[in-house]
Amino acid sequence: MDAQYTLNYCTKYLARYNPEARHAFTPADQGTVAGTICEAWRFPMIDTYAGGSGDITDPALFSSYNQVTFVFRELATKPATSVGVIGTFNNLYSVIPMSRVPFGDVPTAFWAISVAVPKRQVHRYRYVVDGKVMNDEINPQTTSLPTGQVWSRFFTEECAENLVLEDWEQALLYRLVEQMAPFRTTDGQRFLDQFYTFLDNSNKISNYEHAYRFDESVGEVGYIDNLLAREEHHRLVDYKICLSIIRQVLRLRNPFEEPVAISGEYYNALYDEMATDKVDGWDTSRYGSPLFFLNLLRRHACAGSFSHPKYGGNSGGAGWAYLSERFPDGRGGTLFDWGAAIEPPLGRNAHYLG
Amino acid sequence: MNTDFDIVIVGSGAGGAPIAREAARAGKRVLVLEKGPLIQPQDSSPNGRSSFKRDELLSDGAEKILTLPGLANTGSSYYSSHVEPDLNDEPHIYQGAVGADRATIEGYTAQVVGGGTQLYGGVSLRFTPTDLRLKSFNEGRSSLPSDPNDDVKRNARDWPISYDELEPYYCKAEKLVGLNGEQTNQQKPFSQTDTYQPPLLANPISQFAHTGMQALAAQLNPAAPVQPYRTPLAVITRDHEPSGRKVPDPESLKTSYVNRYGDPLGYKSNTWVALLRPLTTLENFEIRCNCVVTHLQSDGTRVNRVFYLDPSGQEQSVTGKIVVVACSAIETVRLLQLSAALDGRFDQQINQNGLLGRYFLTHCFGGASALVPGRYDKSRSLDADWATDCCGVPSFLESHQLWAGAAIYNNTSDQALPLSLLRTHYAEDLDSLWNGFMADTSLRGQGLIDFLQEQFGRGLSVSFMGNHLPQATNRIQLHPRITDKWGRPVAHIIKNWHPHDEYLMDTMADQCGQVLRLGAGSDPSFKFLGQGSVKDSPLRIANHILGGARFGDDPADSVLDKNCRAWHFDNLYVTDGAFMPTSGGANPTNTIEANSFRVADQIVPLL
Repeated sequence: MDAQYTLNYCTKYLARYNPEARHAFTPADQGTVAGTICEAWRFPMIDTYAGGSGDITDPALFSSYNQVTFVFRELATKPATSVGVIGTFNNLYSVIPMSRVPFGDVPTAFWAISVAVPKRQVHRYRYVVDGKVMNDEINPQTTSLPTGQVWSRFFTEECAENLVLEDWEQALLYRLVEQMAPFRTTDGQRFLDQFYTFLDNSNKISNYEHAYRFDESVGEVGYIDNLLAREEHHRLVDYKICLSIIRQVLRLRNPFEEPVAISGEYYNALYDEMATDKVDGWDTSRYGSPLFFLNLLRRHACAGSFSHPKYGGNSGGAGWAYLSERFPDGRGGTLFDWGAAIEPPLGRNAHYLG
Repeated sequence: MNTDFDIVIVGSGAGGAPIAREAARAGKRVLVLEKGPLIQPQDSSPNGRSSFKRDELLSDGAEKILTLPGLANTGSSYYSSHVEPDLNDEPHIYQGAVGADRATIEGYTAQVVGGGTQLYGGVSLRFTPTDLRLKSFNEGRSSLPSDPNDDVKRNARDWPISYDELEPYYCKAEKLVGLNGEQTNQQKPFSQTDTYQPPLLANPISQFAHTGMQALAAQLNPAAPVQPYRTPLAVITRDHEPSGRKVPDPESLKTSYVNRYGDPLGYKSNTWVALLRPLTTLENFEIRCNCVVTHLQSDGTRVNRVFYLDPSGQEQSVTGKIVVVACSAIETVRLLQLSAALDGRFDQQINQNGLLGRYFLTHCFGGASALVPGRYDKSRSLDADWATDCCGVPSFLESHQLWAGAAIYNNTSDQALPLSLLRTHYAEDLDSLWNGFMADTSLRGQGLIDFLQEQFGRGLSVSFMGNHLPQATNRIQLHPRITDKWGRPVAHIIKNWHPHDEYLMDTMADQCGQVLRLGAGSDPSFKFLGQGSVKDSPLRIANHILGGARFGDDPADSVLDKNCRAWHFDNLYVTDGAFMPTSGGANPTNTIEANSFRVADQIVPLL
């Protein structure tokens, strides 16, 4: 555990006197510890793995892992003598001890441990504080077991599992996003067909579990699911309500087919109506502004297309590669040489390690 | 931990780091207190990885929502960098022209070791000799446009130091920080020829700016045109002996992950890699990061204790024979005001003339943008390629009836990456990211492709950075209602443009527009997009924050003396941009650093 690295997050996001829920962006966040903390979603910290775990010492494997740093904040009124973490990333019931983070020769209120966890995984975990098992009250992410038990949850980079959206919601979202990103045009589609054809099969299976979708997108829906599970979890409620309204609206318009199966014309028309903020059949008592949701979705779809693949979209750099191919320099090269700046193995910068 | 030092410096950016370096190298016991984290570049990180990354969602991240009640922008979305203060935790509150308070953070206010020098694009211009003597320059001139009350003559101040006094320190700062650029054609005297490392090849898109600047120069003064030069940038292009940094492959340095990004490779010359990191082998140097200074205490004419919160929020204190405050103009003034509110003796010493917080300054800022013929890979560039002083020379100020001048430079790295292109589409500034994109619902599918076809790799903008006329009513004070995450009142900033500022901005935006129009010639595929300035922007009010504790020769007219010592203290100095009585016609970092080296020469011998 790198004390400097850990404190860099603890002080900015956790340390404070003000108890107000300034970071509670939805009513559900009111009254939670996370609502009083800035960017609580940053915990546990998911970062580049670069060694440190005794199990993974071969640098060639580093890019398949993330470094995950768990942080426990001790309250002045409740000093702890031992803190550890259990979770499905380890064998579930052996406690990994956490240590108190020092500031020079002074102890702080923070306990932490960094571990290596493979990318593209979802795990549940709990803290064990002086023998008592408890959830991480900083991290807003939780998961419920079939038994009804609630655990803290985290996921690593490039995660392709459905985290917060149901299958039908993802499928509907996929149809909506087609209207926004540039990849559903003839030209875009041709590019993606080619891009994914050239990925070898093993790569496709290990890296792109939902590869069937990539024929027509670069994984924007996966990005949105990740984002709604973590950084912008306050927007999940917008999606839940609006996707349900949209399904209802489309069913009214075509009662004979499932909304996810109807022709693009319906989605096209829906987009145009949402853009004017007036959608026939939209239940405004449930969600006031279809335009507001459209714009949220557009921002997310674009960010998902072109942000770093670690966020779950732009799979394999497909969004960037699309621009590279689209803008050739006429000499066999490109006018968007994105790989030059980006770390290997995704990019080819000789110095930057990600 | 030690609690007694020769010198305690609050802030590790452009104002604090030069003094820390000089004092530590002179063997003095130095403590730097920095509110933000210490983010190491790869080569000094324990695991070889940096928390600065080439990641468009780090510079402007996930959506957050302003929840502070009762503000004009309560409920609005914001997207901040991982090293900017959070708006709900530590906002600055600006009072706009309509009297409505609005929370914001200035661009480049970074809470991190290195401060704003971690986020800046690195444009490192000097001020001109005229910038430092605007009172003398304007004496005897007839009335200027949009200045019916002669405010220019009443409010302009000469700096208590001349350009010649500052010049050796410009040389020192440029060499120690590590800049690339060229001196030829700059309208500022250089006493040494070797202050810059050589620039990299300019991005080909900048040729239009270069041609346009040449043509503008010829138009303005056919007999003696003031020609453009390669913009001095704080990025090393060669091995840099003073800081021990190596450059294995100069042309590979080019990346548009530069402006608003910390550099994971340490080539961008921030004050950490350039000035402070080389001190970490010295036993008499210490930096405590993630430590916010809450107040200074005084026993009369001395600051006798500095109080701070350690990383978990426990109060600690230290003493220093000398205390330097340099945590960026607004936070510095706020810290002095908070100290005065807690300590009557401190209040009595710092507030003798009512000027603390007054004459807050930013820059008259604006420019023009266009789509140029052809397409270029802007992702392989640095922040700016060409600059010109043709609008900063006295003849231009006379012919255009301006009180002061402005530097012009072209931006190369802006909108070079896909998300930055989309989220700054029609965005007036960093407080309106994504708004233009979201308002333009035609950007979908084929519409988005058409947009990319038209814009990607084709945008060129030219900016000006001009002097802002000082006004006593532009000020920093404590907000009566809003507190930060530590329960301390936040800064409340009142700032309005003077009509002559608006005249200056219109005049300069026009020059920038001319650069682009002249640069493109008659090529039909050139598309002029527009010109303008921050005078029309109701949102983020500043990128550069200066003034509020100006220095001068007269204790009744300034907060600091010529050496940046608070007039009625023996051992309190302010060396960030707060000291400036006028804001200069250029980006301020290089001048703040040069002045700090100058102040260091005055105070280190006192220790």
